[in-house]
Amino acid sequence: MFTDKVDLKDFEKQDPEYQDLLRRVLAIQADCEIGGPNLYVKDMLPNAPTRLDQLIVARTAAEEMDHYRKIARLAGDIGVDVSYVLSRANQDRYVEAFRGEIKTWEDYAVFGFLIDRVGRFQLEEFIGCSYLPLARVVDDPDMIREEEGHIDFGVNATAEWAAKGGESKERIQKAVNYWYVKGLDMFGKSKSYRSDRYMYWRLKRRPNAVARQQYKDECDALLKKMGLEIPDPNKDRLYT
Amino acid sequence: MEAAPNTEALDQQFKEFIQALKSAVGSAMPHLKDDPKVVEKAITDCRDILDVVLEGNVKEWLA
Repeated sequence: MFTDKVDLKDFEKQDPEYQDLLRRVLAIQADCEIGGPNLYVKDMLPNAPTRLDQLIVARTAAEEMDHYRKIARLAGDIGVDVSYVLSRANQDRYVEAFRGEIKTWEDYAVFGFLIDRVGRFQLEEFIGCSYLPLARVVDDPDMIREEEGHIDFGVNATAEWAAKGGESKERIQKAVNYWYVKGLDMFGKSKSYRSDRYMYWRLKRRPNAVARQQYKDECDALLKKMGLEIPDPNKDRLYT
Repeated sequence: MEAAPNTEALDQQFKEFIQALKSAVGSAMPHLKDDPKVVEKAITDCRDILDVVLEGNVKEWLA
């Protein structure tokens, strides 16, 4: 197990595998951070149910843009220009969950509840990681706290829809069914050589399967509390 | 280690976008109940800023 702490000035001295994995994870993280606003701003900013909700959409987008900025800075400092992810089409995103569009408020709510929660899990992977500039970014309380704010908004909105019952509950359940498997898939393959190497270099903390199970446990408990059905975790999955 | 070109400029540009968005949202929040024109203006500003950001025309921003 790698035990060094690496600062920017020492990056080039690291093993090529370490350099490649760090470049890769920063590019994917940057893509995911800006991928969210690209999914929901176009339709949700003009069509959110209230003026307050419209402002919340704008503020959420601003916070995700700031996360993108911080990760893009880290990537840029090690020579990786991730500005290309700003203009790419949604269908070209690294992670499948960001390849569509969000056109309904219930999808926006569930996206916050389930997909921003994956975002929090991914950021937590970097806490105390071997690359100090990245560890510092996630140690700053803003980033994870903002992500938690997006999640809380999504949880509350989802719970409100579920509590209304009838058609509202059916619609939110449909959105949960759609996003639940996408969330599980975001953790990647359970048996992954690359995941093992990330852990070896201490660029991530948990195996994919462990993080996915922790995530699933959190989501299932909340869905149960809301009186919603827990979707089949194996249906339409891309990665297991 | 040589940074990627435009790293600093992109960072600065994003800081400006984010500040402008947060400022617009912040100016509207206290007036949700008493001044719909202020709120409407802020939402329009947010849309204008986000349209530019999501278009992603980095070369144009940094020219």
